[in-house]
Amino acid sequence: MLAFTLTLLYPLVGLCAPVGHWQWNGSIPGSTASAVRVSLVLTGIALLVDVILGTPVAWYLARHTGRDKIAWEAAVLISVLMPPLALGILLSLAFGPTTAPGAWLLRMGVPTANSPLAFAATQVYVSIGYYIVAARAALAAVPGDLERIAALLGLRPWQVFRRVTFPLARLGFAAALSLAWVRALGEFGAVIVTAYYPSGMPVQIWINLQDAGMPAVMPLLVVFLLTALPLPWVIHLLAQRRHADANA
Amino acid sequence: MPTLDAHIVKARRVLTVDVRLRLEQGERLALFGASGAGKSTVLSCLAGIETPDAGRVQFGDTAFFPPNLPLYLRSLAYLTQSDSLFPHLSVADNVCFGLRGHESNGASQWVEELKQRLELGPLWNESARRISGGQARRVALARMLARRPPLVLLDEPFTALDRPTIDELLDAILQWHHALGFTLIAVDHRVDILEKLCTRAIAIEDGRVVQEGAWPELIAAPATPKLARLLSA
Repeated sequence: MLAFTLTLLYPLVGLCAPVGHWQWNGSIPGSTASAVRVSLVLTGIALLVDVILGTPVAWYLARHTGRDKIAWEAAVLISVLMPPLALGILLSLAFGPTTAPGAWLLRMGVPTANSPLAFAATQVYVSIGYYIVAARAALAAVPGDLERIAALLGLRPWQVFRRVTFPLARLGFAAALSLAWVRALGEFGAVIVTAYYPSGMPVQIWINLQDAGMPAVMPLLVVFLLTALPLPWVIHLLAQRRHADANA
Repeated sequence: MPTLDAHIVKARRVLTVDVRLRLEQGERLALFGASGAGKSTVLSCLAGIETPDAGRVQFGDTAFFPPNLPLYLRSLAYLTQSDSLFPHLSVADNVCFGLRGHESNGASQWVEELKQRLELGPLWNESARRISGGQARRVALARMLARRPPLVLLDEPFTALDRPTIDELLDAILQWHHALGFTLIAVDHRVDILEKLCTRAIAIEDGRVVQEGAWPELIAAPATPKLARLLSA
């Protein structure tokens, strides 16, 4: 176990690699602060959309028993399995300014390329499948009997979800949120095609690497890790602690 | 006075259940028969857990089926074979689960009575995960009765309980029935329990009613050899 963990964490020694003096901004286009702000704000919005749209879908897939369920599950899996770069290209071809929906949105003042909307929408596309798959597993683990008993005790469906389903699936929801967060925040392949600007952290790291080399990458890399990792970690710890409290 | 009038048709893989029953307010009816006869299916369809393929279920002015009335609008309590306690809640929260928004009309006094009678006091603040099977059964019973439902459905309510506990719970249920006047339907395969709990019985074989009446009638002249064997077991 120790050997495995050490191997797993070994790449982190790269943070101490002798790459020269770290450069903070300087002559590089874009700024660290701006990239962090873009990534955090737009990932937060994308996550909100994931939860609002993905939770009912996850619930439907977990509870529905019809034959059509296989088709819906396959559609969700396609979004999970799609290579990010391919997804970015397809999104550009489907929603770019030269397409009918893209042109219409542009007329409405909403550009679908190189805009905050393009950035957040791309993040939703790359992360929502992961959220749904994990949330569906969490919901499927909640016994349907308990939900039916709660309904017979007079609770409406949303009350059953709030008082029975969600509390029992909380740990799984935490995992789903963490997965979606990491997936959206770290997205590079699709975002670089659809929203080179405004640059989030992954794209800014790429720009820094191209323009100024590793010394300009390292500071943003550290900030990237510090912003990407704590949230899922905190969510996971909180959910586990509450789970342990409930079992105590 | 709500009368339960039901005709349930439900096709299963091995048999089709087709049962009619009618109960006046406050009646206590036993559904009796061998395992797999369709007793639990009838109860499950009455509760709304399963949807009948045809027939109708009317309780007083309320049509349970058709169309299928949502579970939260059915004024009934259903004790299933498994306790199905909410594991993330305490015993107290389980018992009072259905009472939110219905705290008036002496609800707290009634809950206190359930708590005392079912000896839930020492467990009251325990997590539902940490209590024994017998205790969980008592909690499930208290939770079911806390809302003082007009219709009570019991599906093998005393599974895995010892005889003294069963007798104690039977006495409690009968006393509460006398006080609250609910209509009761119980399913079990043990005649002695059903005889004590219910005044009338419907015997079911292969999804059909084969005999109906008071216990002495059934015991004196069972309609089929299978029923005779069950009644003498």
